[in-house]
Amino acid sequence: MTTPLKTGPATESSLERDVAKLLVDSLRLEMQPEHIDPSAALFGDGLGLDSIDMLEIALVVSKRYGVELRSENRAAFGSLRALAAHIAGNRTK
Amino acid sequence: MSTRWLTQPERGNRALIRLITWMTLRFGRPVTRCFLYPICLYFVLFSGGTQRISRDYLRRILGRPPHWRDVFRHYHAFASTIHDRVYLLSGRHGYFDIRMEGATTLRTVLEQKRGCILLGSHLGSFEVLRAHGLFAQQLPISVVMHEAAASNLNAVLHSLQPEIRERIIPPGAADTMLAVKERLDRGELIGILGDRVLGDERTTTCEFLGEPRLFPEGPFLLAGLLQVPIVLFFGLYRGGKQYDIHFELLTNSISLNRDRRSEELRPWIERYVSRLEHYCRLSPYNWFNFYDRPDDVGPSPSHV
Repeated sequence: MTTPLKTGPATESSLERDVAKLLVDSLRLEMQPEHIDPSAALFGDGLGLDSIDMLEIALVVSKRYGVELRSENRAAFGSLRALAAHIAGNRTK
Repeated sequence: MSTRWLTQPERGNRALIRLITWMTLRFGRPVTRCFLYPICLYFVLFSGGTQRISRDYLRRILGRPPHWRDVFRHYHAFASTIHDRVYLLSGRHGYFDIRMEGATTLRTVLEQKRGCILLGSHLGSFEVLRAHGLFAQQLPISVVMHEAAASNLNAVLHSLQPEIRERIIPPGAADTMLAVKERLDRGELIGILGDRVLGDERTTTCEFLGEPRLFPEGPFLLAGLLQVPIVLFFGLYRGGKQYDIHFELLTNSISLNRDRRSEELRPWIERYVSRLEHYCRLSPYNWFNFYDRPDDVGPSPSHV
């Protein structure tokens, strides 16, 4: 397992860690949040999530950060890093 | 010689399907229906694999060894519903006598403006609901299904009604369920067939006509996550020009405990399967799930 790369500003990687924890907790993933490769695909081969998991991610992200993920924001749920960046740019809480 | 015509219509030749579709529209239903007899007879004689599935089902639903005439009747009902899709999709609803039972149930749910999952099956005609509901009844129905491009038959049929393409949500993509949510949020209806497993779906095993069979958990999980009602529908072909659409409220909402989801979904899936069995008994020759087999039961890919 790869460990998260420390790139970008500190706030961004701390948000990445928060989002990783949110994913692991809400989807009951059998892995440690720090073991999620931030650039790996969330859907399919990467983290092995399915379309229903993506819906759950959208629901918890909206609740926690006030960011609505829509089907046209495909890029935003590509990876943990992309998701955290999308949240950072759109969060209302 | 194709023995899997019934199970894999996408192998059909597109030009031939176009020709048949053209003839169907040009010469009308009473004339072209006559062709269904020799076609079905041909497949009774030469479709080994599909016939085994048909016979296995017929034996269980009829409670006796099926006669070849039962298989013929089964194929003929299937061929009739495909033939009728041409008329339904081209807006020629006048050919049919379509009765709706439980329409008030659906109307009550629609008035709540919270969207609704219309859970169907491979029993009878799905098109009678989609085309008739969408274009004659003006119900806002989108459908989760593989895109028309994957199937020559659907590609030709959908070209009769191009608007229907905008109402198809392909399954198995990252954004499938988000697209479903957005339409439900607008108070629309989402049609899903709940008796066939598509790819790596989460599944549960239920008894269907006395044998274990895999059923997808997805539609039920979706209803629980988004707190929307599930209405069951069955579009039964009753012979001649008669179709009966039945709507039944399965539940207004499903409550889910995060750590006991599968157990909580199970009674709802069993309830759906028992209604499916009920309608199979009502219209035994309407079961067109020629793809799945009861021995498809294997380890569930569910990770929850």
